[in-house]
Amino acid sequence: MRIPILKLGNYLLISIQVELDDQTALLFQEDLLNKIHQEGSQGIVIDLTSVDMIDSYIAKVIGDVVEMSNLMGAKVVLTGIQPAVAITLVEMGVSLNGVQTALDLEQGLEKLQQELEG
Amino acid sequence: MTTQSSVEIGTEWGIVSARQAGRELSKGLGFSSVDQARITTAISELARNIYLYTKNGVIGLEVVNDGHRQGIIITARDQGPGIENLRDVMVDGYSTSGGLGAGLPGVKRLMDEFDIQSNPGEGTLITTTKWLR
Amino acid sequence: MHSSVVDFIYQNKDIYIKKWRSTLDELDLNIYHSSISNEIIEETKAEFIDLVFGTLYTGEGEVAARFRRFADRLIYYHIPLSEFIRSLQLLRRVIMHDLEEQSTKEQYDRYNVDLEDWLDENINKLVDEFSNARENTVNLQNTALKELSAPLIPVFDKICVMPLVGTVDTERAKQIMESLLDGIIQHRAQVVLIDITGVPVVDTMVAHHIIKASQAVQLVGAECILVGIRPEIAQTIVNLGIDLSKIITKSTLQKGVYTALQMTRREIITLDEQRSTEV
Ligand SMILES: Nc1ncnc2c1ncn2[C@@H]1O[C@H](COP(=O)(O)OP(=O)(O)O)[C@@H](O)[C@H]1O
Ligand SMILES: [Mg+2]
Repeated sequence: MRIPILKLGNYLLISIQVELDDQTALLFQEDLLNKIHQEGSQGIVIDLTSVDMIDSYIAKVIGDVVEMSNLMGAKVVLTGIQPAVAITLVEMGVSLNGVQTALDLEQGLEKLQQELEG
Repeated sequence: MTTQSSVEIGTEWGIVSARQAGRELSKGLGFSSVDQARITTAISELARNIYLYTKNGVIGLEVVNDGHRQGIIITARDQGPGIENLRDVMVDGYSTSGGLGAGLPGVKRLMDEFDIQSNPGEGTLITTTKWLR
Repeated sequence: MHSSVVDFIYQNKDIYIKKWRSTLDELDLNIYHSSISNEIIEETKAEFIDLVFGTLYTGEGEVAARFRRFADRLIYYHIPLSEFIRSLQLLRRVIMHDLEEQSTKEQYDRYNVDLEDWLDENINKLVDEFSNARENTVNLQNTALKELSAPLIPVFDKICVMPLVGTVDTERAKQIMESLLDGIIQHRAQVVLIDITGVPVVDTMVAHHIIKASQAVQLVGAECILVGIRPEIAQTIVNLGIDLSKIITKSTLQKGVYTALQMTRREIITLDEQRSTEV
């Protein structure tokens, strides 16, 4: 299964709506990096509102995706992480250090704009 | 009165179906949304370890009642290589696969009771329980 | 069942009320609270006398309701129950004394049993109602505590404050974390100020919970500022080697609010006189 990546000006928007199995997560990593390369995108919002569980493996994939995107010159904001997901991640000791977050898509885009356009 | 189910973890899909079974069971028992996430995440971690480190194994889910309260017992059983040093794998950040090493110590913190038995060459059995508050 | 002795007491009730009153006056009803007024104490005694003698001629339902009211009163004013139970023993002694003089040995034995029954019934009702009433109060207090455990107060658009009061144990920390995160989503807050002015001791465990909470707050997409750090708390934090460097901290709530406004790109300005009169 592929996760759709939407283009919005200089930004890429991804809303994860499916159960994140490992294969999907890895495929997504690959697709996103290719897209950044193709489009020269500067900002990315990954919306996780519909995701009801993130285990340490998926957290690592997400953390890696953010780091790789940063290396390619794109800023990433994760949005919509649910309270229950945040609590389990923190209890597991996975705090996704250094990753930018926002409450929802709207605030995520705002954050990108502030960071990129000053 | 106990309800039991088990999911084979042979492929990656087993991980998904094990945690879906856990989500449904915990929801049905009336666990809070945070506890549902804790239980599902714990199952995912244990199932993934079976998938990553052994050829195959089984995740068992069981509803228990100790007379005062209900709970869910998750068992993860495999006939894989086993774990040499149990103390090491319970340390945050310890991983032999380049993972985050947060799985086993994380499960222990997410759940109320946690037990691990392993014999090198024979396999591993992890039993962990969450009680309904 | 105890009609004979009940008749006896009822017939002489004015005498016994008077005699019992004087023994009641010796009771110490003020041991918990020195602040109960004499008026209330007198009222309580009168109500108790009515209550006990009322059982002689009032219907079951009404008696139960009276006992409940009386128990509520004791709890409300922190008046000890034991003193009233003791007073019933005193009443028994007074009545028995008279019975001994006025009746045959056979009558006396029967009266004795009946009197015990009557008093036991009163004591049982009193104790039952008292513990029911107390349980209710405790339940109410628990619910209140749970709600109090983490009120998230929106102070400005996008800025909320969570004042923590009392000790923070692991169970409470979990509740606080949940209502903190739910509140952030509900109010769409971008910055939360956690005010620890009301937390008596910040040890490594409390600090651990605060660090975890601030990590979770960041994950859902907001920022945390820790405020209300008193000098002695700053000292303990450093002496214990607790690393709070990843968390923004301010000494007072007010300073925290200024920082929060900056973080959300706003500021408070004073309108000049002319403009403010125009508005
Ligand atoms: N079922 C298992 N059989 C054998 N080894 C295991 C098993 N589960 C975990 N391990 C070992 O324990 C280590 C720690 O596991 P875990 O805490 O889940 O972290 P991670 O999976 O990220 O490495 C693994 O790297 C692996 O070496
Ligand atoms: Mg693992």
